[in-house]
Amino acid sequence: MANIAAQRIKREFKEVIKSEEVAKCAIRVELLNDTFTELKGEIAGPPDTPYEGGTFVLEIKVPETYPFNPPKVRFVTKIWHPNISSVTGAICLDILKDQWAAAMTLRTVLLSLQALLSAAEPDDPQDAVVAKQYKENNEMFQITARHWTNVYAGGPNINKDCDDKIRRLADMGIEEHQARVALSSYDWELERATEQLFS
Amino acid sequence: MSGITENTKTSGEPSKENPSPNSSDTPDDEKKDDRMFECNICLDTAKDAVVSMCGHLFCWPCLHQWLETRPNRQVCPVCKASISKEKVVPLYGRGSTKQEDPREKVPPRPAGQRTEPEPGSAFPGFGFADNGFHMSFGIGAFPFGFFTSTFNFGEARPTPAARGTQQHMEEQFLSKIFLWMAILFVAWLLLA
Ligand SMILES: [Zn+2]
Ligand SMILES: [Zn+2]
Repeated sequence: MANIAAQRIKREFKEVIKSEEVAKCAIRVELLNDTFTELKGEIAGPPDTPYEGGTFVLEIKVPETYPFNPPKVRFVTKIWHPNISSVTGAICLDILKDQWAAAMTLRTVLLSLQALLSAAEPDDPQDAVVAKQYKENNEMFQITARHWTNVYAGGPNINKDCDDKIRRLADMGIEEHQARVALSSYDWELERATEQLFS
Repeated sequence: MSGITENTKTSGEPSKENPSPNSSDTPDDEKKDDRMFECNICLDTAKDAVVSMCGHLFCWPCLHQWLETRPNRQVCPVCKASISKEKVVPLYGRGSTKQEDPREKVPPRPAGQRTEPEPGSAFPGFGFADNGFHMSFGIGAFPFGFFTSTFNFGEARPTPAARGTQQHMEEQFLSKIFLWMAILFVAWLLLA
């Protein structure tokens, strides 16, 4: 029965993943092995979001029971989003869990993830810290998400203020990503981030 | 096989004004026609095809496995309408499935349900035919078999009683009762 999964992915490659979105560079899928169980996905950050201009890489694992069970997907590119863990890249999205349906494809999954980037659901969070910031200090959330897009996903918007604060912490011997996480979590307040890092 | 770029062709979806750049291997129209009969789960031409009440086509083995995977949430894999084993209709095309491999683990596809037409001998006096009332029950399981064989409306039968007579009145009354019973049964079937 394992073969139906491979068969299905093959057919998806042939027909379902449309040239249209590929042409727009909106979504992409690439095979990583010959058994069709591991794939690399890519989605473009949607326009008018802090993710605009970024390219987000996804790890896609196809279970033997696909398409009866959903593929396992996580963000490889670090991202600041209420429904995606800033630590592991784990995603909280209903269609990847109980709302999966066997007629869905990798294409619908990638498009749904792209939609998730446009419309976060902070009341069903994966990352509590991000979700809290999203709800209580949305402006700071936008700045942080845009900065992460710039640093990790190749987005165009450089934020000098963020970069400076990270450098200040780096000068104190803090690793760059760790500094970024601390600052992001404390609304870019240098003192509180420092306090947390050295406590 | 790596990357989709060289493998993509036009999809099965309706938006296809612009032909795909590499559709040269098969004519596009032919492909489109084929896809109409593809299973929504394995994306291959449907084998032992069944169709759900919401109109979506599947291989019976595929749909069966989907229903087994989620026993508590029986929904159409395409539109998420509620579905059940009992309410799928098998499709028999010409040159149909008998020659194919017998399916092993999968239970046999639900049978098509067909009611024999019957000579209108039972209850000869009922006056359904005179108002051109026509009804057929395509659902054959036990208690309803009673209905279908009892009420073969619209069959040729002895002429109904003349209008206005006592017998005619009684027949109208009875026919209304049976009509209502039939409607209730149908409603019950749909809701069950
Ligand atoms: Zn199928
Ligand atoms: Zn449906």
